[in-house]
Amino acid sequence: MSAGTVGATAAPRGLPARGLVRHRGLVKLVLLAVAAAALVPYANSQWHSGTWPAALTVDLTEPLTRTSDWIIDNRDRHPLFLYFFGHISNTVVLSVRAVYLVLLALGWAGVTAAAGLIAWRVAGVRLALTAAAAFALCGLLGMWVPTMQSLALMVVAVLASVVLGALLGLAAGLSDRVYRALRPVLDTMQVLPAFAYLLPVVLVFGIGVPAAVLATVVYAAPPMTRLTALGLRNADGGVMEAVTSLGATARQRLLTARLPLARRELLLGLNQTIMMALSMAVIASMIGAGGLGDRVYQALSSVDVGAALAAGIPIVLLAVVLDRVTAAAGERIGAEPAGPALLRGRRGWAVTGAGAALVAVAARSLGHQAWPDSWVVAIARPVNTAKDWMVDHLYTGVPVVGGTADWAAHFTRWVLDPVRDGLLALPWWGALLVVAALAWLIGTWRTALTAVLALAAIGVLGVWKPSMDTLSQVLAAVAVTLVLGFAVGAAAARSPRLETLLRPVLDVCQTMPQFVYLIPVVALFSVGRAPAVAAAVVYALPAVVRITTQGLRQVDPGALEAARSMGATGWQQLRQVQLPLARPALLLAVNQGVVLVLAVVIIGGLVGGGALGYDVVAGLARGDLATGLVAGAAIVCLGLVLDRVTQPTTRRRMGKEA
Amino acid sequence: MTDNRARTDSRARTEDHRGDRAVFSVRNLWKVFGPRADRVPGSAAADLSAAELRERTGCTAAVRDVSFDVRKGEVFVVMGLSGSGKSTLVRCLTRLIEPTSGSLAIDGEDVLAMDRARLRELRRRRAAMVFQHFGLLPHRTVLDNVAYGLEIQGVAKAERRARAAEMVAKVGLEGLEGRRPGQLSGGQQQRVGLARALAVDPEVLLFDEPFSALDPLIRRDMQQEVIRLHREEGRTMVFITHDLSEALRLGDRIALMRDGRIVQLGTPEEIVGSPADDYVREFVRDVAREQVITVRSAMRPADIGESETGPALAPSATVSEAIEAVARSGDPAARVMSDGKLLGVVDHEALLGVVAGTAEEPVGPRDPGAPTGRGVAA
Repeated sequence: MSAGTVGATAAPRGLPARGLVRHRGLVKLVLLAVAAAALVPYANSQWHSGTWPAALTVDLTEPLTRTSDWIIDNRDRHPLFLYFFGHISNTVVLSVRAVYLVLLALGWAGVTAAAGLIAWRVAGVRLALTAAAAFALCGLLGMWVPTMQSLALMVVAVLASVVLGALLGLAAGLSDRVYRALRPVLDTMQVLPAFAYLLPVVLVFGIGVPAAVLATVVYAAPPMTRLTALGLRNADGGVMEAVTSLGATARQRLLTARLPLARRELLLGLNQTIMMALSMAVIASMIGAGGLGDRVYQALSSVDVGAALAAGIPIVLLAVVLDRVTAAAGERIGAEPAGPALLRGRRGWAVTGAGAALVAVAARSLGHQAWPDSWVVAIARPVNTAKDWMVDHLYTGVPVVGGTADWAAHFTRWVLDPVRDGLLALPWWGALLVVAALAWLIGTWRTALTAVLALAAIGVLGVWKPSMDTLSQVLAAVAVTLVLGFAVGAAAARSPRLETLLRPVLDVCQTMPQFVYLIPVVALFSVGRAPAVAAAVVYALPAVVRITTQGLRQVDPGALEAARSMGATGWQQLRQVQLPLARPALLLAVNQGVVLVLAVVIIGGLVGGGALGYDVVAGLARGDLATGLVAGAAIVCLGLVLDRVTQPTTRRRMGKEA
Repeated sequence: MTDNRARTDSRARTEDHRGDRAVFSVRNLWKVFGPRADRVPGSAAADLSAAELRERTGCTAAVRDVSFDVRKGEVFVVMGLSGSGKSTLVRCLTRLIEPTSGSLAIDGEDVLAMDRARLRELRRRRAAMVFQHFGLLPHRTVLDNVAYGLEIQGVAKAERRARAAEMVAKVGLEGLEGRRPGQLSGGQQQRVGLARALAVDPEVLLFDEPFSALDPLIRRDMQQEVIRLHREEGRTMVFITHDLSEALRLGDRIALMRDGRIVQLGTPEEIVGSPADDYVREFVRDVAREQVITVRSAMRPADIGESETGPALAPSATVSEAIEAVARSGDPAARVMSDGKLLGVVDHEALLGVVAGTAEEPVGPRDPGAPTGRGVAA
């Protein structure tokens, strides 16, 4: 509320307001300098400068280990587990199992037909063919069973997320108090890397399907909540008034007007929830999800790129199909019903179900239930051959340009190492000051306080060093992402042809789960910190390019035309008109870039990125939950810091919600 | 109806008219937005100007001490520029906006005292509204939109569809029943809005600037539609507009609002012929007076010998009709006749005086000794 009004009143004032902001910025810096001058000498005399002083850390290993042990000991006895978590756990296991059995009973032909028919029903014939082809391809790659395992888990997780998210969203959409209470929580959850969710659920449920499903639900429900609330709150006031004027009761208003008016947002929420669930379901393979993610995880840990690719392609296909079908369903709202008359309305669903059942029975009677082995095309070996060739010929010693491994080594030596050493050499109070200054300049004293406290918490947790390591990777990746992203975005904004070329690429890139990005970088750069950074750059780049292009495009054409009419060159137009006017969008791009980069840098712990991500992975692998939990908490804090120092006050108006 | 004229009065107090049943009866109605709004009416702040009121109390008075009656069967137009409070006023009538103070009755029943169920009943069956931006449900077909009001009343599907189809035909949208609002033009959408309001067969139709968002040509079509409906059904209508020509074309009586107050209430002829103050005068300056003012107000008593010649006109004929009649006949004056009785004559001089705007004073039959319209407004 306050952020919104500040943005609204400050924007039209233009130049004088900016002068004021600069002036205010100076005031803030002076205040901060005074505070620093008072506190730093004291801190320096009390503890040394350099990295976070050991005297200020709290060792949580012991209590955490004790908690974890207690939970393991009591999981079968304590009433809390017997009557609450136990029931949840059992329900999840049973549901996933049931869905999996249904999928198996349908057989590959039934599932493929069902996918095609459902896509046809909601999104038209083209996507129906795409969906059927995608499922067939999963079978061809020999990944039918893992695909079904992942799908079963997804179905349960998405259903639970949608129910939970929609209920919370309904509450937040109808009650201002709930909305105000939920919003900061949702905002924070949105910036947290997926890894942060893994350990707490493992602590309670242990490694296994329930933990994987619950982590997925917690990760995937927020967009549904956010968009449901948004849709309900943004219902057209005129329509609502008209409905009231006809004498509708509160219940009728909700059911016949407010909810239907929010259908677009509800479907967008479903779309985002499905995409987030897929992303998390793959990552959750580390805590017992099984399926495709597990295959990728196993393959990556033995650097078997061929096997990873064979499991990765179905993930991408699933992502693209699910995204396109749900997005198309959203776009169809309000349009004339299209497609064959047989598939319209309620009858359409009946036809869809009957068709799928028919195909399933037919295939079954022909003995085609499991995907036939003879139809599997094994791509792992040829891919690995190609990769070996690459290792031999491209990794190193290519004349003039060097090789990919050389590049990675150089990047590590000349960029990552100096940045990390620089961060570690920075006195701890210096880091706090820098964060405070950045967050205060860009936001309010509250954001600054949150950021400083979060950074201090990292120190207190005793993971200052790995956190600075992670931070160095994030900074390097963000720098590369922004340079590339702004350049490509600016180019795309100026050239419609480039934008048309880029759009499908960006669409696919933005739908792929984070995990998948690790496969190509491992193929190219082997393992280490540089590949982790590369994956982060590739993952964050599409969003940055897209936001930059949109921001530059949305610049008031009148202002641009005026500049052109005065004879400004293309460069002058960009520098003097487009960039200043697109500033909010560019700030948003920075914020998004940072959040996305962090998510993947953390996952990079799986491919030798080390630091906090590795601590989580190692904690899980060794059953050392204390280390993992501390690292997870540090990831949360780091996410908060990075978000707060890059979060312009107007961010929420700018469109994360849109 | 024109015989019972309200006296133009700055307080816009209509007198009680025996024989005319008031559908809506509004007395001293206030709507104040802002902190502690309920303290403004009746306090010293009540007489402040809008800017002063805002400065002193932080409140905005959208409707200030408004009183009027809407009589059965008439088209009552509330007219004013944007921000004059007219849209707030019409929403107060069904408590879509809760009035701050005053009294409000429909058919003698106190609206402000109604409980939720009774109020819902009022909105469902007695007063239906047509909105500027239509307020249609985008996910429903035209037919289901029209049937919506009946649906929430619990009317069975077949019956409400039949009624809705009838209304769709009535507003001239046959063949478009299956479309969605997004596929219709603005004019067609407003016809749907009109049909939806008509479908519940309300006692009063409330229009909130229904045609402001439409193209001028379509707007005229829609105005004709409303006139036709009113002629056919005689339903009471309250019509909000900022367009003077629309107000003059549709209104039996017009209440002209400014800054939340009614500055003048009267027939179109009274508003144009004897503006209550300079604001109203400025407002109606460009109106083609000869098309609004009737010969009843322009006539003078007949001199001897004038009673036999000249074309005969009804008292409700406009001056422009009289000009045409006089020009065609070649006589120096036309006679104003009612039931074969001569009421007076209009000659060249009187007719030209109306066109030129010099004949402002002698408008409307007035109580002897009553002050003229001008200068009364405080």
